[in-house]
Amino acid sequence: MQPFTYVRVRSAADAVRAVADGGPGTRFLAGGTTLLDLMKLGVETPARLVDVTGLEDLNTIETAGPGELVFGAMARMADVAADPRLIRDYPALSESLWRAASEQLRNMARVGPNLLQRTRCAYFRFGEPFACNKRKPGSGCAAQDGLNRGHALLGGSESCIAVYPGDWAIALVAFDAQVDVLGREGERTLPVEALHREPGNTPHLETTVAPEELILRIRIPRTPLGRASTYHKIRDRESYAFALSSAAVAVRMEEDTIGQARVAIGGLATRPWRCREAERTLAGRTLTPETARAAGDAALRGAKPTRDNRFRIELGARTVADALMIAAERARS
Amino acid sequence: MSDQRFPDAPRVDAQAKVRGEALFAADESRPEMAHAALAVATVGKGHVTAIDTGAASAVAGVRLVLTHQDLSALEQPGFLFAGGFGFQSIQAMSSPAVAYRGQPIALVAADTLEAAIEGASRVTATYAPESFNVLPDQAPAEDIVAQAESPLPREIFFDRTVGDADQTFAEAPVKVEAAFTSPPQHQNPMELLSTIAEWREGTLIIHEGTQGAESVRHGLARELGLDPDQVQVISPYLGGGFGQKNSLQMHTVLAAVAARRLGRPVKLVVPRMQVFHDASFRPRSRHRIRLGADRTGRMVAAIHESDSQTSRHDLFPTLHTDASGRLYGFGSFRGRERLVRTDVQTPGFMRGPWEHVACFAVESAVDELAYALDQDPVALRLANDTATDPLTRQPFSSRHVGECLRRGAERFGWSKRTMAPGSMRASDGSVIGWGVAIGTYPNSIVPEIARLRTTADGAVILRLGGHEMGQGLRTALAAILSRKLGIPPERVTVEIGDTRVAPQHLTAGSWGTASAIPAASAAADALLEALSKLGRGSPSGRTPGQILTAAGRDALEVEVRVKAPGQTDAVFGGLQSGHLAFAGPIFPGFTTFSFVAHFVEVRVEPGTRRVRVPRVVTIVDCGRVVSPRTAESQARGGVVWGIGATLREASEVEPRYGGFLNADLAEYVVPVNADIGSIEVEFIDEPDLEFNSVGVKGVGEVVITGVAPAIASAVHHATGRRVRDLPIRIEHLL
Amino acid sequence: MHSEREIPIRLRVNGRERDVDVDPRASLLDVLRERLGLTGAKKGCDHGQCGACTVHLEGRRVVSCLTLAVQVDGREVATIEGLASPSGELHPMQQAFIDHDALQCGYCTPGQIMSAVACVKEGHAGSLDQIREYMSGNLCRCGAYVGIVAAIQDAAARMKGG
Repeated sequence: MQPFTYVRVRSAADAVRAVADGGPGTRFLAGGTTLLDLMKLGVETPARLVDVTGLEDLNTIETAGPGELVFGAMARMADVAADPRLIRDYPALSESLWRAASEQLRNMARVGPNLLQRTRCAYFRFGEPFACNKRKPGSGCAAQDGLNRGHALLGGSESCIAVYPGDWAIALVAFDAQVDVLGREGERTLPVEALHREPGNTPHLETTVAPEELILRIRIPRTPLGRASTYHKIRDRESYAFALSSAAVAVRMEEDTIGQARVAIGGLATRPWRCREAERTLAGRTLTPETARAAGDAALRGAKPTRDNRFRIELGARTVADALMIAAERARS
Repeated sequence: MSDQRFPDAPRVDAQAKVRGEALFAADESRPEMAHAALAVATVGKGHVTAIDTGAASAVAGVRLVLTHQDLSALEQPGFLFAGGFGFQSIQAMSSPAVAYRGQPIALVAADTLEAAIEGASRVTATYAPESFNVLPDQAPAEDIVAQAESPLPREIFFDRTVGDADQTFAEAPVKVEAAFTSPPQHQNPMELLSTIAEWREGTLIIHEGTQGAESVRHGLARELGLDPDQVQVISPYLGGGFGQKNSLQMHTVLAAVAARRLGRPVKLVVPRMQVFHDASFRPRSRHRIRLGADRTGRMVAAIHESDSQTSRHDLFPTLHTDASGRLYGFGSFRGRERLVRTDVQTPGFMRGPWEHVACFAVESAVDELAYALDQDPVALRLANDTATDPLTRQPFSSRHVGECLRRGAERFGWSKRTMAPGSMRASDGSVIGWGVAIGTYPNSIVPEIARLRTTADGAVILRLGGHEMGQGLRTALAAILSRKLGIPPERVTVEIGDTRVAPQHLTAGSWGTASAIPAASAAADALLEALSKLGRGSPSGRTPGQILTAAGRDALEVEVRVKAPGQTDAVFGGLQSGHLAFAGPIFPGFTTFSFVAHFVEVRVEPGTRRVRVPRVVTIVDCGRVVSPRTAESQARGGVVWGIGATLREASEVEPRYGGFLNADLAEYVVPVNADIGSIEVEFIDEPDLEFNSVGVKGVGEVVITGVAPAIASAVHHATGRRVRDLPIRIEHLL
Repeated sequence: MHSEREIPIRLRVNGRERDVDVDPRASLLDVLRERLGLTGAKKGCDHGQCGACTVHLEGRRVVSCLTLAVQVDGREVATIEGLASPSGELHPMQQAFIDHDALQCGYCTPGQIMSAVACVKEGHAGSLDQIREYMSGNLCRCGAYVGIVAAIQDAAARMKGG
């Protein structure tokens, strides 16, 4: 690991100032589960770390009351996952948290910074000698003609097909969540769906927030859709692994007819992927294995397979279909 | 000695382990100790043309940087299978040559670990690359070596032929022919490769988790031009071995040289990513199986041909057909094994190295045969059981395959199985599959020189060869001495894994218990004999401590030498010089194998086709079980390994860059707790007294053999699909 | 708290104050093992992928390999060495691990036990399936999972009983 200086700050404003004034190579440090991992690999080489875990006023969970759900960015994944109201009223959100990583990591990682988790692509992580436009712009993309079983089917480009590996963001996108961020000029709000970029020909640019912008909170509009929701995750083992495919779905049922549905998929695209076409195919339809599967196919529309990942189109469609059946079951209980 | 079964007893080192007090190599610390880290080659093959260590040396706290330029005086260690000591014949950094991606090219030693790691990251090198091939399936003909025609010892590695299997197969009314593959896999014990090297008055002292302290000792002596008496290797505990730590590793001498140059002890812990290229692995192999049967189901012919990956510089041999040839009473048999050179580090042992894959191939074919005959898979196996070793025609010293199958079937509820694929369903819509397979593993014995000392206070110290890697060797030794000497196991101290106390033959091949237990038993007999001469009165009913006290003696020590049936005393020379000195599984007049039967239930999710293994029943024939608790844990662990090998693990080969791509514990998928359901284990527990005086047979590896074909057969039973390439993944079943 | 070199920190480890100057890059794991002589927590991967380094930080289980020591300044750490009582009596979880042979080589064991104790206190030991899921952050290559789950079930009942 390269040497760095370390500073703790007492307020969000101090944090932003420290990063804004610290020059390139100054980064926020929260739980460290992404940043320290990549620093040990030499992929991230910050010269200065600004520790924001002490910002207790951002460590909040508000799920009571009539207004939005609000999660301070410094709330721990484990604590948000365990919130009883969230479990009851928005199971997909809770599941998208506890189906990620391990409880040890969920005790360290915070829900705001978790959105900025980076890809697990081995060519990106393991450095030299692998060509990687994200890590080293212009060096090429070793995954295109390489081992790409786990790479993206959607949102990729000739420069990069690295998958966005997170779970929490998928569920947030399904529920139209927003983030408030604090920058030099003050606070601004953006949808979580607008947070991540597709690689295009600038895969090294992953988000639409500036390095000095600090995520303050995540806000989710209340919706009765939350109750009959799930985050379904398929991986190469039963736990402690990233998604081969995942789906955050929510349904509002009127008897056997779907009033409204939300569908977002994970593990399959270069960013969290909301599937409005799939939602449209479901609205007003009876939920059957066939209509569920049709929604899954719609969710994967436009998928561009590589040599090794074609099976995940089928898998992704089935994941959406199964998720819808699970969610619908929750509408009945 | 009593013929009775041994009682359940706690693992003797469990207390220390649950307190975190059992010290592994990297837990040790020394005054003035420096930390070391390695820089590794980034080309798939070639040689280093220039190496820049200036930036590394400039890092605050860095004290030493070594490259090939510093180490050209090192002797090569020799390959373990060619009379040498190393897991491979080439010593990294002894020349500028790079044989594979990930080979170490520099060592940086510093006052702190952080400085050493930073230093290593700042080493830069340029290379003259050469073309290379890491895909055995694409190797040219000249890289494929017929094992029987190779320089490997002819008496062990010849092609097996009994009768005319090809002709008999051609004429057989029922035929099965299928090809199977197993990918490269890595042992990945939890403990990283770790060495502390220290020089004290001209003696090199090595703390390292190893399965072969004597090979490490003699290998280092050879490399450094020392007398072996100037080298000590100490390995009281390993955090898992599984074959990875079988012999002299590549990094050990580098730590020793650094320690000598610095005049300070050096600790080198190889990080997980580097472990994938720093030590051996299970090579990729392909198997072609042909089974011929008559219409009653008698197996009249079996042909097993295998191709296995090896390195460019060494021939790591295979004994696949030694295992498959023993599964049933085949009327005729032919086994042929070939090795395929690729540009990797030399592969090696990984739990059940040949037997696990051989049993996967042949037992999967047997299940296909059962379906071709429309016969129950258990009944077919029982009908082809044999008490005679098909390859030598001598009897097995013990074989309880039939009993394993019968008891397992009963316990599992096999009679409720309906044969047709997809015919059994669970209430949640999952389709159920039930599969069965047997497995087998050869038994060997290595020579032992054992010293047993007792003192008047009642303590007993046993010193002999062995390495504790969690199999419970210390517990089993304490149990045998407890029984023979009439003392509680807590009064027994077992010193193993230490070249200072007794010669330390490699502990592998499941021969550890079969070698050490009879040696301990013989030592106990010698001690009792010596005690009986100490004074009047019968020794019976009195402990050794009481006898000594009565005779006015402080202590008494005996030494015994024990070897395998058929061995001469010359083997003790081999033992003491760090060479392989095992004998088996063929002995004069009998052949000894361990056997197992596994019954597996899988459930395949209807939509996304995840395969779960909720239930396994395993019946083991490993002779007398001296330590039931640790043996049961070994068996369960073997089943977990089998699940991993069949449904999870593959080292991903990168053909353009060389090496393995998924070089960490997130991407190399081993089973987690949530992958494992119920595993029931039972032992036949009948001693094999022809094999050794206590009747123990090996258990550590037989327990993984047969799991893979049982799972694959269960998957077929559930889905109708035969998956012949491991690991079985969702994409095979969608 | 700015420094290029070593930073003085004070950790409260197993109830005892420990003062140590650390490289900002040093992980809590490496400080415990190399500076404080507490080698119970083990390094299996150094990237938060195996759980062998699990300790408690202010009562929560965390992976110490991805925790910077400087982030732990002034905070409370519990390791395996502090789990048994001062008189040496084993914690019920430690005893249960012995009774159910929930270990083999012992390398992952300290991390498993620290994780297991927290798992029970979190309320995540209510069923076999829940234990399996919530203990999946601790790899055991020896495959002692069946024993581990049985031990946790056993100890959970005792821990409730007080």
